[in-house]
Amino acid sequence: MKHNHYEAKKRIILASMILVPVIPFILALGFGYYFFATSIESSTIASMKRIASDHSHMIEAFLLERKADIEFILYSNSFDEVCNSEKLTHHFSLLKKKSTAFVDLGIINAEGVHLTYCGPFALSGKNYKHEEWFLAVMQKGWYISDVFLGYRQVPHFVIAIMRQEGDKRWIIRATIDTQFFNQLVEKVQISTTGEAYIVNHMGVFQTTRRSGGRLLERDPEYLIYPGYNDEIKTFIQKDNMNTWYLYATTWFKEMKWLMIVRLQKKDAFKSLRSAIYVNMTISIFGIIMIIATAFYLTGRIIDRLKRMDAEKDELGQQLIRAGRLAELGEMAAGFAHEINNPLQIIKSEQTLIMMIFNDLKDRGELKESEDLIELEDSIHQIKQQIERCAHITQAILKFARKTDPEAQDIDLTSFISDVVNMKEKQASVNGIRITTRIDKDIPFIHGDIPQLQQVLVNLINNGMDAIIERHGSTGGEILISANKHKNGKVAIHIKDDGSGISQENIKKIFTPFFTTKPVGKGTGLGLSVCYGIVDKMKGELIVTSEKDNGTTFTITLPASE
Amino acid sequence: MEKIKLMLVDDEERFLVTTRKLMEKKGFSVETANSGITALEKLKQVEVHVIVLDVKMPGMDGLTVLKEIKTLYPLVEVIMLTGHATIESAIDGLKLGATDYLMKPTDLEDLMIKVNDAYTKRQTLEEKIRVAQSKKYLKFSQDSIKEEG
Repeated sequence: MKHNHYEAKKRIILASMILVPVIPFILALGFGYYFFATSIESSTIASMKRIASDHSHMIEAFLLERKADIEFILYSNSFDEVCNSEKLTHHFSLLKKKSTAFVDLGIINAEGVHLTYCGPFALSGKNYKHEEWFLAVMQKGWYISDVFLGYRQVPHFVIAIMRQEGDKRWIIRATIDTQFFNQLVEKVQISTTGEAYIVNHMGVFQTTRRSGGRLLERDPEYLIYPGYNDEIKTFIQKDNMNTWYLYATTWFKEMKWLMIVRLQKKDAFKSLRSAIYVNMTISIFGIIMIIATAFYLTGRIIDRLKRMDAEKDELGQQLIRAGRLAELGEMAAGFAHEINNPLQIIKSEQTLIMMIFNDLKDRGELKESEDLIELEDSIHQIKQQIERCAHITQAILKFARKTDPEAQDIDLTSFISDVVNMKEKQASVNGIRITTRIDKDIPFIHGDIPQLQQVLVNLINNGMDAIIERHGSTGGEILISANKHKNGKVAIHIKDDGSGISQENIKKIFTPFFTTKPVGKGTGLGLSVCYGIVDKMKGELIVTSEKDNGTTFTITLPASE
Repeated sequence: MEKIKLMLVDDEERFLVTTRKLMEKKGFSVETANSGITALEKLKQVEVHVIVLDVKMPGMDGLTVLKEIKTLYPLVEVIMLTGHATIESAIDGLKLGATDYLMKPTDLEDLMIKVNDAYTKRQTLEEKIRVAQSKKYLKFSQDSIKEEG
């Protein structure tokens, strides 16, 4: 039951010692991690967005510039002038000086026939009237195509602008080198896995993608791209290779091209991941520390608690014992006193009987006979038993004595050796050796010599009885030692190697009339009288004993000042 | 020789009866009283040499009776009889002028010894008083002779 009680206490202490620091610890780490993660995420997303927007603006600006270049040629020259091959070549060479992106330049009439051409391919006379770009430019006035193969079977895209003068309409068309354009788009460098590319509204690559995806191939992930929107979209999506990517996409304003910037998620949130690792390490280490400390401290607290409880129990028992003894003492004193009066009467009566009996005998009125002898013996026995009763009541009254002992300073060195001298002879008859070990610097004590003598003699007698009980006449040893005790007290130990006292009896040892000796051998008052005497001297009498191993009585008395 | 006049004071009637018989057999003249009051009453009427007084009695307590006796009859020897083995009441009694004390249960022998001792003490004291008084008387008569002469 006691054990369970400690276990329950231990669990409570342990739980609170672990939970109280661990909960705020985890909360702090959790919140810290959450805010760090959100801030990392938002800053990463913001930078992705910025890259996407800057990049798309830059590319769009590039394309519009190229458009403006050929627009200038178209409007600064008449139809005839541009149809002049020499003149057009001159303009083309000027264009190429300005931007190496241009591959070729040509003039197409309203019927779709390539009138003039300058560039590496032989495209003069080709008819474009069914081509998609031609139809679009005729309708819209200008057009930037998606990347396509065309007659030349090389991926390229065109910028075409139409000029109308009255009923006459003609178109200037320039081809842009996809290689050059690719480099322009690809040059974005974000982290190691970051890349930028463009797809058209059909999801076809307009530039190559570094992580795989060739020109004019379909982007396998396109279908889940968001719809047309002015804003920059960011999202996290798994690609067909099962890799998580953080995407930022934005549509170009003038073309149905989608600018895509993407970064592998693990790359994007690399610092977050290291934060997680650090966080986990700290958490694990911290929690282990907390738990270890909690276990250690709980163990110590419980030990302390157990010790304190044991001390408390011990103290409580001593108090109960002392209280019980005081009560018993009072009761016994009253009892003894009341017994003494009838005892006195019995004694007087016995004396009277004896006297009359003797008178009768003297006068010869009683004949000598067996009965007479027995009668005399019986009367004599009554006297003896009265004496016995008187001894008992006197012992009880001594135990309960209320007077202060006549105190004087006692030198224990000489006092103990006097007592030992007194008992030595009796002890040696039984082969018992009495040794003394008294500290040299032992202080004097304040007490009543005859009473203390009585205590010591009584304890030595008990020791001898115990030794005889255990060893018979082979003897044993009684060690009497005296030393300084804590709190200005002096301790006298009377240790024997006799039969010891059982756990059951040790509790009752100071109780009046408690004895283990045979009837008539002991009154059971010796130790209770000793206890009473030591108690009156403001001391303590304590017993420790082990069955079949001996007993030690310890008297602690205040040292004289 | 003059019989020792003894008075026993105790609340135990049977003790008084039996002890009286015993002491009378031993040649004492014995009076008894079963309380302090009775004892003081009887003392007014009869002369007593030694009193054996129980310390603990109902009504008037032994020590109070002792005080009273010692005031009224300082020459009467008192032996305290105590049921307590403790010396304290005996010491108190001795301080108040008791000659000796006895512990219950006491032997007839002890009682007789102590009573005899007390009586002897009283005799000695009376002798001294007698001598002193005779000296005084002598001096007085001498002085009166001188005056006459």
